[in-house]
Amino acid sequence: MTVATTTAVLRRRATATTALRHRVFSGRVPWTLVVFIIMATVPWIGSRYDTFLAAQIVIDALFAVSLNLLLGTTGLVSFGHVAYFGVGAYVCGILMKTYAVPFSLAFPAAGLGAALFALISGYFCVRLIKLYFAMLTLAFSQIIWAIAYKWNAVTGGDQGLPEIPYPHLDWMSAIPGFADLSIGDRFYLLTLVLVAVSLAVVHRVIRSPFGRVLTTIRDNPERAAFLGINVRLYQLAAFVVAGGFAGLAGALYGIFSRGVFADFVFWSKSAEILIMTILGGAGYFWGPPVGAAALVWLNQAITDYTQYWSFVLGAILLVLLFGFPGGIVGGLDLLWQRLKRLRNA
Amino acid sequence: MLHRYGLALASTLLLSWPVAASAADTIKIGFPIPLSGPAAVYGKPILAGAEMAVAEINAKGGVLGRKLEILSRDSKANADEAVRLAREMIIKDRVDFLAGTLTSAEAPAVSTVAKENKIVFVAPSAKTTMLTDPQHIHPYIFRVASNTDVEGLAGATLMARWKDVKTVATIAPDYAYGRDSAAAFIAALKKVRPDIQIVDQEWPKLGEPDFTAFITAQMGKKPDAVYCSLFAGDFVTFTKEATPRGYFKAINNRLIDGAEVGTPDEAQALGSDYPYGIIANSYDPVLWSGNEPAAHKTYIENLKKFTNTQYASGWSIVGYQSIYALAAGIKKAGSVSSDPVAKALLGLKWDTPVGERSFSVKSHETFAPEYWGEMVKEAAYPFATIKDPEVLPKSFPATN
Amino acid sequence: MSASFLFSQFMGGLTTAMFLFLIASGLSLVFGVMRVINFAHGSFYMIGAYLAWQAVQWLHPTGGGFWLAALFAAVGVGILGALTERLFFRSLYGREELYQLLFTYALVLILGDAAKFIWGTDQLSVSTPPALAGSVQIFGTTQPLYTLFIIAIGPAIAFTLWLVLNRTGAGRMVRAAQMDREMLDALGANVATIYTVMFALSACLAGLSGALVTPIESIVPGMDVLIIVQAFIVVVIGGMGSLWGTFWGSVIYGQVLSFGILIFPGFSLFSVFALMAVILIVRPWGLFGRPL
Repeated sequence: MTVATTTAVLRRRATATTALRHRVFSGRVPWTLVVFIIMATVPWIGSRYDTFLAAQIVIDALFAVSLNLLLGTTGLVSFGHVAYFGVGAYVCGILMKTYAVPFSLAFPAAGLGAALFALISGYFCVRLIKLYFAMLTLAFSQIIWAIAYKWNAVTGGDQGLPEIPYPHLDWMSAIPGFADLSIGDRFYLLTLVLVAVSLAVVHRVIRSPFGRVLTTIRDNPERAAFLGINVRLYQLAAFVVAGGFAGLAGALYGIFSRGVFADFVFWSKSAEILIMTILGGAGYFWGPPVGAAALVWLNQAITDYTQYWSFVLGAILLVLLFGFPGGIVGGLDLLWQRLKRLRNA
Repeated sequence: MLHRYGLALASTLLLSWPVAASAADTIKIGFPIPLSGPAAVYGKPILAGAEMAVAEINAKGGVLGRKLEILSRDSKANADEAVRLAREMIIKDRVDFLAGTLTSAEAPAVSTVAKENKIVFVAPSAKTTMLTDPQHIHPYIFRVASNTDVEGLAGATLMARWKDVKTVATIAPDYAYGRDSAAAFIAALKKVRPDIQIVDQEWPKLGEPDFTAFITAQMGKKPDAVYCSLFAGDFVTFTKEATPRGYFKAINNRLIDGAEVGTPDEAQALGSDYPYGIIANSYDPVLWSGNEPAAHKTYIENLKKFTNTQYASGWSIVGYQSIYALAAGIKKAGSVSSDPVAKALLGLKWDTPVGERSFSVKSHETFAPEYWGEMVKEAAYPFATIKDPEVLPKSFPATN
Repeated sequence: MSASFLFSQFMGGLTTAMFLFLIASGLSLVFGVMRVINFAHGSFYMIGAYLAWQAVQWLHPTGGGFWLAALFAAVGVGILGALTERLFFRSLYGREELYQLLFTYALVLILGDAAKFIWGTDQLSVSTPPALAGSVQIFGTTQPLYTLFIIAIGPAIAFTLWLVLNRTGAGRMVRAAQMDREMLDALGANVATIYTVMFALSACLAGLSGALVTPIESIVPGMDVLIIVQAFIVVVIGGMGSLWGTFWGSVIYGQVLSFGILIFPGFSLFSVFALMAVILIVRPWGLFGRPL
C-alpha cells in the first residue's frame, strides 16, 4: 500500500530559507495511516452530521492540495483554480445526471476534462509573468463561470443541476459491517478512499525528480533555465496535473452537494481555497489538508454565533499574514524547532 | 515531536467539534430565504409573516401539544446557498420540515433536497411551473404561491383590454421564473389577441446593477406596451434607470408587472420614484378599499404590531399561509413525520385572511389568484397603491 | 435600427464607461506606483456609496445635499485608505506579492461585513440631485442630465490627473516612483509618503465614484465584489498603470457591453472576460501600457 511506503521514507531537512519542506512522519508511528483509519470510522462512531463535515473536509483537502502543487511546489500563484474544480463538477454532473453515465466512467472523465481545460488555458497562462499570470487565470475562471451561468440547456444556468445521482454503491453491502450504512455514508467512504489515493499520487509526484524540478523552478527560474530545463513545459505540466486533481475534487463535490451550481465557479471560491492553503501552510504537503479541516471547523463553529463569518475569515487572514505566514503547520513546526533547541541546549 | 503537537491540536479540535442538535420538544421548520441583497425586500417580510403565524399558533398551544420553531437562514437568493443551508438544517439542526426560499432558482433546488431526505417542503413564493410539473413533482413538495401559467393568464387578460396596443415587448430576469413568466404571458396573449406582435425580449440577469443597455435596446424597438417580470430590488434599480430615459413615457405607462411590485413593500422602497400608472399585482392588497374581510383586517392589525411598522407588508401573507398550511397538515396527520403529513396535505383546505386555499391533489399547488390594478398616488398614503384591485384570473384550468 | 437608436446605445455605453473609468483610475494609479492589485478597491467604492447615503440622511432626510455627501464620501474613503496603508499595508512591502494581494482580499472580507453591520442588508437608494434631475432631447433620444454629467466628468478627471502627473513637481515624483522606486529612495525622496498619498488618492477616487453612482444604481451588499472584476477587466484592456489606457479601456468595455446586448445577447457576460483573456494572451501590458 502506498501509505505504508510513504511512512517508511526518511525525513528530509531543508535549509531554513527554503519555503517548502517535505516532511514525512518518520519511523515509529505511521501518522497518515492513523488519520486515515480514524476518518474511515466516522460513519460508525459519528453522527450523520460528522460524516457530512468529514466529507467536506476530505474533498476540500484534495482541492487545496492540488492548488498547492501550483502555489507551494512550483511557485505559481493562480487566482482561477476553481475553474478546473468547476469543469470537473459539471462534467461529472452532466454525465451522471443527463446521460446516466456510471460514476466509474464519469469520475475519471471529470479529471480528464479538467486536465484538458488546464492544458489549453495553462498553455497561455504559463507564458506570462506573475501578475499577468494571476490575471489570466482569473479571466479563464470567470469565462467558465459565465458559460456555466448562461448555457441554460447544458449547465442549467442560474438553476444549476440539482439532483445529481449517487453512484451505485449497493455492492458495498457485501462488505461485513457495511450493510447498514446509508448511501451518504457509503459515498463518504468512497470519497475518502479516492482522495487518499489521489493525495498519495500527488505526494509521489512532488517527491519525484519531476517534482524536484518544479521546486527548482520555484526557487530560481533563471537558474533552472540555465540548467537547460524547459521552464514553461514543466510549469504547464504542473498546471495540468493540478487542474486534473482539482477536477476530481469538483466531481466529488458535485455529488456530495447533491447538485452543481454556477456559483461553485465564482472567483471568490478560488480565494477561499487560497486562504485554506495558506492557513494550513503552503510550505508543507499536509498544510492544505490541515487548513481544510481548520476552515470547515471554524466555519461551523463561528456561524453558530454570528452571521459575520466573512469578517472573521478576513481577520484570520490578517493574523496569518502578519503573524503566522507559515500557517498552522508552519507555526507548529516553529514551535517544535524551538522546543528541540531548548531540549538540546 | 511534531506529531505530539499535532495530537494536541487534534484533541482540542475534537473536544470542541460542532455537535448536531439533540431532539428537542419543538417542531422545527427550516426556513432558508434571502435576507440580504436585492431580494431581501421580499424575503424579510415573508419570514416575518411566517414568524407571526408561528407566534399565533404557539399562543394557542402549538400543534399536537408542541410548539413550532422557525430556523431562518440567509440564502442570498442563491440556489447553491439555499441547498447548502437546507442540507445543513436537516443534518445538523434536525429540522422536521422545510419552508421558505424566495426565487424560482432556490425552490426547485431545495425541492430536490426535500425529496431525497423525505421532508415536506412548503414553498411560499416560487412561481416556476418546473417546481411541480410531472417531471419534478414528488410527494413532499407543496406550493402556496401562484405559478407562472396563472400569472401569465392574468397578465394577458389585462394586456388584451388595451385595444390599441399592437406591439408588445417583454423584459424578464434570465432564470427560470423570468423565462417561464414571459413564455406563459406570450402563450396566453396569443390565445386572446393573436393580432399582437412580440417585438422585443430582454433578459438581464437577476441582480443586475445596470439595466441601461437593456432599457435603450428595448426603447429602440418602440413597443406599445411591455410585460415586465422584474421584481424586488431589481425593479427599483430598473425604474431609477428607466424613468430619466423616458422609458415609461414612451409607452404611456403601459407596463404590466406580474411579480408583485404592487405590494406596499415595493412601493415604499421606490417612494416618489414609483412609476405611477403601471399595472402591478400583489398577493395581498393590504390597503383594502371596499368590502374587506374581517379576518383580513385583524390579520393586518396584528401584522403591523408584530413587525412594528406603520404600513403592513403585502408579502407576509404567503409566509403566513405556508405555516398555517403546514400546521393544518400536521394536525390532520396527527404526526410530525413527513410521510403522513405529506398525505394529509393533499387536497387539504385551510383558511387564510384572503380566502380559503387548498392543495391540489394532482399538482400540490394552490390556486392563488392575485390582486391586480393600476398603481396610483392617493392622498391618504405616501406611496403608490393599487386602485380598485381586481382578483385575476377568475379561474384556471387544472395544470398538468 | 435607426441612427437615434444607435446613438442611444452609444451614450449608454459611454455612461457605463465613465463610471468604470472613475473607479478603475484609482486601481490603475495604485498599480502603476506600487505594483499591487488592490482587491479592496471595490470595497472602497461600496463604502463611498454607503457614506454618501449616510450623509444624505444626516443632511436632509428627504433628499438634498448630494454634492456635500459626495465630498464627504470621497474624503472619508480617502482617510480610510490612508489609514489602511500606513497601519497595515506598509509592513507588507518587502514581502511577496501574494501576501499583499491576500491582504487586500482580507480587507474585502472585513469591509464587506462591516458595511452590512453598520448599514444593514437592505437595498438603499439615493435620489438624483435636483439640479441634474431632468433630461434633454438629443438626436431624438432622451438623455438624462445626470448621465451627461457623468460622461463629462470622466474626461475632466482624466485630464486633471494627467495634468497633475505630468505638469507638477509632485506628479514628477510619482512618475519617478513608478519607474524606479529604489533610485528615488536613494535620491532622498520620501517614497513612503508618496505611497500613502497615492493610496489615499486612489481610495478617494473610488469613494467618489461610489457616491456618484448612487442616483443611478442601488446600494446593496455584494456591489463591491461585482464591480472589482469589471475594474480589473478595464485596467487589463487599457494597460495597468496607464491613465489613458484605463480611459480607453473603459470606453471599449462600455461599448462592448452596450452593443453586445444587441448583437449576441446571451454572450455579453462571456465576451468581456474573453476580451480580457485575449488581451492578456496577445498583449499582456494592455493597449496603452508598457511591458513590465
